[in-house]
Amino acid sequence: MDPSEVEFLAEKEVVKIIPNFSLDKIYLIGGDLGPFNPGLPVDVPVWLALNLKQRQKCRIVPPEWMDVEKLEEIRELERKEDTFTPVPSPYYMELTKLLLNHASDNIPKADEIRTLVKDIWDTRIAKLRLSADSFISQQEAHAKLDNLTLMEINTTRSFLLDTLNCMYKLRSNLQPGSSGGKAQDHQ
Amino acid sequence: MPCERKPMRYGHSEGHTDVCFDDAGKYIVTCGSDGDVRIWESLDDDDPKSINVGEKVYSLALKNGKLVTAASNNTVQIHTFPEGDPDGILTRFTTNATHITYNRSGSRVAAGSSDFMVKVVEMYDSSQQKTLRGHTAPILSVTFDPKDEFLASASCDGSVAVWKIEEQTQVTSWPLLQKSNDVINAKSLCRLAWQPKASFFHLHLLSPSFSIPCSFHQAINVVAWSPCGKFLAAGSIGGLLTVWDVESKLCVERQKHEKGYTVCGLAWHPSGGQIAYTDTEGCLGVLDGLSSSSSSSSTTTPASYDDLFDDDDDRPMDEGISEGARSPAKNPGDEDDDDDLIPATGRARNRSSLKQGLDKFVDDDDAGSAIVPPAAVAAPLRPVYDGPMPTPPQKAFQPGSTPAHLMHRFMMWNSVGIVRGYNDDQDNAIDVEFHDTAVHHAMHLTNSLGHTVADLSQEAVLLACPGTDELASKLQCLHFSSWDTNKEWMVDLPKGEDVQALCLGQGWAAAATSALILRLFSIGGVQRELFSLPGPVVCIAGHGEQLLVVYHRGTGFDGEQALGVQLLQFGQKRRQVIHGEPLPLSRKSHLSWLGFTAEGTPCFIDSEGVVRLLNRSLGNMWTPVCNTRDNCKGKSDHYWMVGVHENPQQLRCIPCKGSRYPPTLPRPAVAVLPFKLPLCQTTTEKGQMEEQYWRSVLLHNHYGFLSSSGYEIDEEGQSQAQKEQQELLMKMFALSCKLEREFRSVELAELMTQNVVTLAIRYASRSHRMALAQRLSDLALEKANQLQGEEPQEEEEEEPLQYTRRNTGSGLGRSGSAGGQNRVTNVLDSMMSSSKKPTALLSSSGSTGKLNKTPFLKPLAPRPKTKVQHNSVYVRHKSGFQLWLEDNRRIILADNPDLEETDVIKEAIGRFRTLSADDRLVRHLTHLVRLEAA
Repeated sequence: MDPSEVEFLAEKEVVKIIPNFSLDKIYLIGGDLGPFNPGLPVDVPVWLALNLKQRQKCRIVPPEWMDVEKLEEIRELERKEDTFTPVPSPYYMELTKLLLNHASDNIPKADEIRTLVKDIWDTRIAKLRLSADSFISQQEAHAKLDNLTLMEINTTRSFLLDTLNCMYKLRSNLQPGSSGGKAQDHQ
Repeated sequence: MPCERKPMRYGHSEGHTDVCFDDAGKYIVTCGSDGDVRIWESLDDDDPKSINVGEKVYSLALKNGKLVTAASNNTVQIHTFPEGDPDGILTRFTTNATHITYNRSGSRVAAGSSDFMVKVVEMYDSSQQKTLRGHTAPILSVTFDPKDEFLASASCDGSVAVWKIEEQTQVTSWPLLQKSNDVINAKSLCRLAWQPKASFFHLHLLSPSFSIPCSFHQAINVVAWSPCGKFLAAGSIGGLLTVWDVESKLCVERQKHEKGYTVCGLAWHPSGGQIAYTDTEGCLGVLDGLSSSSSSSSTTTPASYDDLFDDDDDRPMDEGISEGARSPAKNPGDEDDDDDLIPATGRARNRSSLKQGLDKFVDDDDAGSAIVPPAAVAAPLRPVYDGPMPTPPQKAFQPGSTPAHLMHRFMMWNSVGIVRGYNDDQDNAIDVEFHDTAVHHAMHLTNSLGHTVADLSQEAVLLACPGTDELASKLQCLHFSSWDTNKEWMVDLPKGEDVQALCLGQGWAAAATSALILRLFSIGGVQRELFSLPGPVVCIAGHGEQLLVVYHRGTGFDGEQALGVQLLQFGQKRRQVIHGEPLPLSRKSHLSWLGFTAEGTPCFIDSEGVVRLLNRSLGNMWTPVCNTRDNCKGKSDHYWMVGVHENPQQLRCIPCKGSRYPPTLPRPAVAVLPFKLPLCQTTTEKGQMEEQYWRSVLLHNHYGFLSSSGYEIDEEGQSQAQKEQQELLMKMFALSCKLEREFRSVELAELMTQNVVTLAIRYASRSHRMALAQRLSDLALEKANQLQGEEPQEEEEEEPLQYTRRNTGSGLGRSGSAGGQNRVTNVLDSMMSSSKKPTALLSSSGSTGKLNKTPFLKPLAPRPKTKVQHNSVYVRHKSGFQLWLEDNRRIILADNPDLEETDVIKEAIGRFRTLSADDRLVRHLTHLVRLEAA
């Protein structure tokens, strides 16, 4: 899966905007949006929010979790725990990136938030690598990872699977007697 | 005693501070939490001498060139003064000392500490110490009596104790204060002060015990006697400085700290003409010019008492008792206790009794108490006037603005946009921003005139500034929707008249002034009518052709405001709709927002968060529709209103955490609250439906008003609302049927329209309630009769405007299917009346023309000419029945050729009735089936 595809999915998340125009309800396949009243917050998908923002038709209200204090808390928790902690949004990385790139003027302390989210991401990816490492070194058959987001899985999926495949092949070559390995090879 | 409060200056970093004068009164000496003692030659001394004595200094005392300080290293140190050289350590505690004081002669120092002990140390031989143990909490404050025999101390354990110094024993103790666990947590520093001199009638050095009735909101923090012993000064938590004349018990001086910070240090100049004080923010201030009366007494009294005191150096022993906020209920008991104790101790005591009240009216209090003869010491202390206290009238304000003293504030936030005012060092500017950028682009104006009030509409921005000595108060209007090139006008008000409130309507502007005049202007700047207001204005609001004025009707008492309200209507029918009736506020609240809903119904909110809406159908009464505080999470959270909409039902407001109004940054977000009528038992199904029904009825009142004042209304919305109401009625009807409440069912049926009653009859008979069905059919008949009876009258009595409500294109279509129903008449009649009506009352301005949705007021469109016009002359002023009769007379006559004219009509009425009833049944059959299924 391409990261851009994950981002595309993230764009379906709902975000609050404050429009500066007036428009009746609009009826889309994905559901009805609006009505848009100038100055009154309304929920729209991120793709529309960004589109309107780029046309200077609205201000984006950052999601509740996009707040320095809350993110700091999450970061500390993430660092303290060995396992993955629940994240504020299943698309936290994508949303941060999208909103901060397009609407940083509407988000207070945008730079700090960017750093914090990056910190959280780095911590989680490090954990992921670490667990992949122990998974491989201990030659486990299965592992359980909770609270991973799609983007995080996506970063490691193709690489990890290919690697495992490769390693499996190498291993089965090392042990020519193993019948299971051969069966696999022929497939 | 007029005195001058000099502007405060920075003394120390923020935190606890203390202040005193040197013996000669030449220097002011302060200490603070930055660990420095500063010696100021005067308040204007820009280079005070600093002595660093520790990390923090808690207290200081100065006498005979020895400066004693209590520092954070748990010691009490001596420094020489004014050189500031260290001169040894006087004593140590296990924790820091909290307060130190000299005795009168300067031979001893008393120090109270956080380790619960009080030590009395000889100045010249620090090994001679007396320790006073007995308090069970950190000591707040200590003081010597003038004769050096006793010592009083206050502690966080809530007690004030008097000790005999020589014997190191506690003589007495009073539980006067509120308990706390540490000095920093104590409500008040509870500084004590012994009156420096005996007074006239107690020559055995017994000062009279007296109390000063003072009404404070806040606890008194520090007190100090004037050197002459005649005056008592006190500083409170809230920054109030008060000086009393002790003998007459009059308040002679009252000053407010310029920022309202807690006063934590207070000292009299040895001459008695000046008071230096410090606050918890580390600032130093001086009250000057107290001399006029106090200096005279300080020169006379010392002379007459020189023989009483060996050492008369005119220095007050610091500070008197102040008591932490005690409940008024506790007061009398305490006073009695204290009074009983006085003979036993035979000691001078003073006490400031605290009373919750309003500080603004303390003067009245004091004046009243002055009647109490000074000799009547033991008499319980009550102010003579014990009745309700007048409330300070609330100031004029702009609804939707934040307080004017803020540097960055909202001058207006309404449904059109936001006006922000900036007034800081580099910039004095106004930003105007529109919610809908289609109205106008954002504007940035330099505020050279110093505008303080603003309003914003789809057409213009209105600004006004108060007058100064040279310049008159000005009203400025930026009429951005003007089609010519001159987009701005300005008007000077007459000298001495200030704009206090202003508002914009459609095509007009209004300004209420300090001269109790309301001035109207056209939006282009033409001066229009002006009229007098019955009282000082609180705020005004405009919408369309309506103007709402709220003013002070009189003085309110006990926290209530007495406000009056006027609702005026301009335009075609100029009239006063509400004639200065009282505005119903919640108990002990004031007005916090006033305005109109987007649909034009007056609405206001009081400081308790209750939203009230004008109920035009109930004789212009105010109905509470929501309590915004119910939606708050915290106790100090509030909602700051920015707009009210009836359709959709929305209260648009900004949630403010821990304050009443939002800051400009970060940009606050608008939240939407629902309406909720405070009906009883809204948790039950019945209560919920009742609430929904009456809310719907109330919030759709505006249709009637709008159409009657000639605006176009949303017909669809109106019929939708009516349908919703009838559905709710039917549901309630079904519910009460289920609960076997047949009487109640009939009551509900009375609220229904005739069509729905038929439905109710069906429901009743299906559920085998024949008695109910019978009653309902009687009711239906009655309703039909009423309709019939009303019809001929309607034409003469009802205003022609009434018809416009029903006069719709769809009405015509319906009338065809409904056969001979009264619709026909109405349509035709209203055509008559519509031709009489002005076609367009309001000219649409440029900006409203651009917008398709936002303006809720649309000018009345010319009525479409219908095809039925040709016979309109003939059927003018005829009822549906008459029309039907015209058509059917021939048939009736054919059936009964020998009938008299009256009999023909009787027969016709009979037929007409059955016909219409049938029609109704057919029409509502589908509706009925659906509802019954539900």
